[in-house]
Amino acid sequence: MTAFGSERLLEVAEAALGTGGADDVEALVYRQAGGLTRFASSRIHQSAWREDLWVRVRVVVDGNRVGTATVHAADPAAVRATAGRAAEVARTMPPDPGYPGMPGPAAAYPEAGHHDEATAGADPATRAGLVAGVLRRLPAGVAAAGACETRELEIALANTRGVRAAGATTGAAFSILVDAGSGTGWAEGTEPALADLDVAALGERAARKAMDSREPRELAPGTYPVVLEPNAASVMVQWLGWLGFGAKAYDEGRSFLVGRLGQRVCSPLVTIVDDATAADTIGVGFDFEGVPKRRVTLIDEGVAASLVYDFRAATGHGVEPTGHGLPAPSAEGALPMHLSLLPGRTPQAELVAGLERGLLVTRFHYTNLVNLMDTTITGMTRDGTFWVENGQVVGAVRNLRFTQSILEALSAVRAVGAETEMAAEDGYGAARAPALAIDRFAFSSATTF
Amino acid sequence: MEPEELTELALAAAVAAGAGYADVRWVREETEGLTVVDGRVDDLEAEESSGLGVRVLVDGRWGFAASAVLDPARARDLAGRAVEVARASAAAGGEPVRLAPAEPAVASWATPVGRDPFAVPLAERVDLLLAASDAQRSVAGVAHAKATVDLWRRRTVLWSTEGARIDQTVTQTGAGIEATAVGDGDLQHRSWPNSFRGQFQAGGWEVVEAADLVGNAPRVAAEAVQLLAAPVLPERVTTVILDGQQLSLQVHESVGHPLELDRILGMEAAYAGTSFVGPDDLGRLRYGSPAMSVTADATTPGGLGTFAFDDEGVPAQRSPLVADGVVAGFLTSRETTTDGAASGGAMRADGWGAMPLIRMTNVHLEPGQGSLDELVADTADGVLLSVNRSWSIDDRRVNFQFGVEAAWEIRGGRLGRLYRNATYDGRTTELWGSLDAVCGPGEWVVWGVPNCGKGQPYQNARVGHGAAPARFRDVHVGGVGR
Repeated sequence: MTAFGSERLLEVAEAALGTGGADDVEALVYRQAGGLTRFASSRIHQSAWREDLWVRVRVVVDGNRVGTATVHAADPAAVRATAGRAAEVARTMPPDPGYPGMPGPAAAYPEAGHHDEATAGADPATRAGLVAGVLRRLPAGVAAAGACETRELEIALANTRGVRAAGATTGAAFSILVDAGSGTGWAEGTEPALADLDVAALGERAARKAMDSREPRELAPGTYPVVLEPNAASVMVQWLGWLGFGAKAYDEGRSFLVGRLGQRVCSPLVTIVDDATAADTIGVGFDFEGVPKRRVTLIDEGVAASLVYDFRAATGHGVEPTGHGLPAPSAEGALPMHLSLLPGRTPQAELVAGLERGLLVTRFHYTNLVNLMDTTITGMTRDGTFWVENGQVVGAVRNLRFTQSILEALSAVRAVGAETEMAAEDGYGAARAPALAIDRFAFSSATTF
Repeated sequence: MEPEELTELALAAAVAAGAGYADVRWVREETEGLTVVDGRVDDLEAEESSGLGVRVLVDGRWGFAASAVLDPARARDLAGRAVEVARASAAAGGEPVRLAPAEPAVASWATPVGRDPFAVPLAERVDLLLAASDAQRSVAGVAHAKATVDLWRRRTVLWSTEGARIDQTVTQTGAGIEATAVGDGDLQHRSWPNSFRGQFQAGGWEVVEAADLVGNAPRVAAEAVQLLAAPVLPERVTTVILDGQQLSLQVHESVGHPLELDRILGMEAAYAGTSFVGPDDLGRLRYGSPAMSVTADATTPGGLGTFAFDDEGVPAQRSPLVADGVVAGFLTSRETTTDGAASGGAMRADGWGAMPLIRMTNVHLEPGQGSLDELVADTADGVLLSVNRSWSIDDRRVNFQFGVEAAWEIRGGRLGRLYRNATYDGRTTELWGSLDAVCGPGEWVVWGVPNCGKGQPYQNARVGHGAAPARFRDVHVGGVGR
């Protein structure tokens, strides 16, 4: 099933715009289609293809009464009925004195998103073939689990102020966990195009880690120097993005940045940007209100530099929106969804070589927030946690729980890796990060494996 | 086109394309979420999602295809795609899937609903939440006052090549308040009846009314303000009483998930993880003290995991998971059950677009006796931990750490000082081994967890946990907050 294409998606959106009696109407169309081939115990055990398309209509009546409704359907009659429902909701809602209107058309939308035809059209045999090929090359006596995913995303937005925006992108991901008995190893790759994934290398990396993870020894919880591999580092970057760069969260006092904008919050080695227009991310050139995406530097060489704004917050602050709006009205407000911790100059291998005594962490598991204001999160290590002495991995250790302030960890960054990897969950948004060498990282307890 | 017509068409197309077994689910899901913050409607999300999901077995390999685009041509196309997916899955080899027998059901069922929540006028819902927000804001020191109502309904038409013809509608409702106090670089929440948008149960508007959001708002707001000034819970090893809200999540993470048979068999290894429990631990592994009995029950009134049939068409069941502290059962499916046993009826899909997976239904800690007041009075020294704020557990479900909204010191059988930023941590069988008392049926409530994640692509599930406050000895608390 091929892409709808910009024209057809905008036609779907425009079906909503004629809603009678409305002051403003906006229709956001989101289509995602793709396949995912899952394997476990070295056989494909679940495999699926799914196509979803939803239209969210926002209608404003009486100047500032706002209603929304969403339907998963593409036919114009269903979209018009949904617009009618949104109008009905709007008429029931109390006035919103802070309603800022809707954005108008942009002079131009930035180039963003890499739509790769081969990825969009990848069939189940292609994914299964990649999986089978990797499984065949694994060493004897191990079992593997993981997934190979290909997906296509199309987004369009139209409103009665003249916005007509449409974009498309693709994404591909391959993840593999290898179980070598007393140890496991893992690797994952995510890129806009399937052809850019080196699945064989991912399989080899996971297998090597699994073999090296066997017979882990117990390590007492404590504070250790660490090297976090890119996937673990990207988890911290994503959490930081959720915890307070949105202007609404900042205004409501539920941001760790309150009182810290313009101040040093971490090491000068750390610069974090949000950039949906980067060639190596998965995104489109406008946000969910139809505002062009901008590259925003959130942390500039360790200094808290900027917030991100949706249309409402930008209007309130008297600034230009940055293109980070979620479907409005949003309880959350704006969010940075294409984060990147910029790479440094130290090759990843040298980060470990520079570690006198400490831990090399492959991956985190089940992270969660402990304290928003000091950015403390907790989570486990898994699938490759190693003890390093004099720059050499000397063996595996049992997995540890960390409970650590992200800002404190980023303040203790000693070196930043030169190579980055992208992590992206199913849906929209991604984070790219390099490996990080951190002088102090707090592990609060240990597990049994 | 009627759902039954689309379903029949897709089923026939799947067989014609070579499926040895097929089931087709037509699903319509309606949701409405209303959020009021500080006397203003912050968000209203109303969504309707319909689609068709076709699952097939071809030579013992699963294939699945689903779409929100509903027309006869797409229904036939989905069947063909599902078969294509299944055929491709043979590439990696391995043992073919065999399904345990199940009697095909022909039935229809719906959640008993007192007052249809979707029929409650929006203005009435808004007025209630404005009143609940205002009642919180009447307390000095409250920075933000949130009130929420969430409605959810799913109709599933499930047909299979074995003859299942099921039409099932589940309705669930949630409501809650959350007061926030901010100051001195800290932020504290207090929620009612539970955190993360409140209490969710199967049923209608009566769930909202039972929560009495307005009546509880001043107390909840006052506690949020008190938390801001409270000391951090000191680190120590002590006796802990978990309230029902927190205990329900403890059961969820450290009992429900580890006893899902797909995790035990490694089918979720790469993402959600596996389990410290092995297939051979049935009837052998001591999971907890004799005070611990846990039941999976998809028939419990009010539970988010309550239905008549799972998404394989297997009837809802009640069965023991842990009996007097020993593993007595697993959550199972037709594919995973062995030795001629029937499925336990725990296959659930996140709507039309997802393959069913083994999910919790309602996983209850069975009640003991007495009230919370009596349990506190019987405790010389310890802490009462109330309402979840943070959770994390390792990928085999051994090492956990939870944070709660509030902690009260217990000294000499009485509640004392309030503490903030409280956490506790431990290992699963050690914690459950230290369980020495569970409150009685009068304190037992079926709590809803509407956001359980698992699977690739990610699937959400709505599950229930009956729990009454319970006491654990020698638990490590504090030490990670500030």
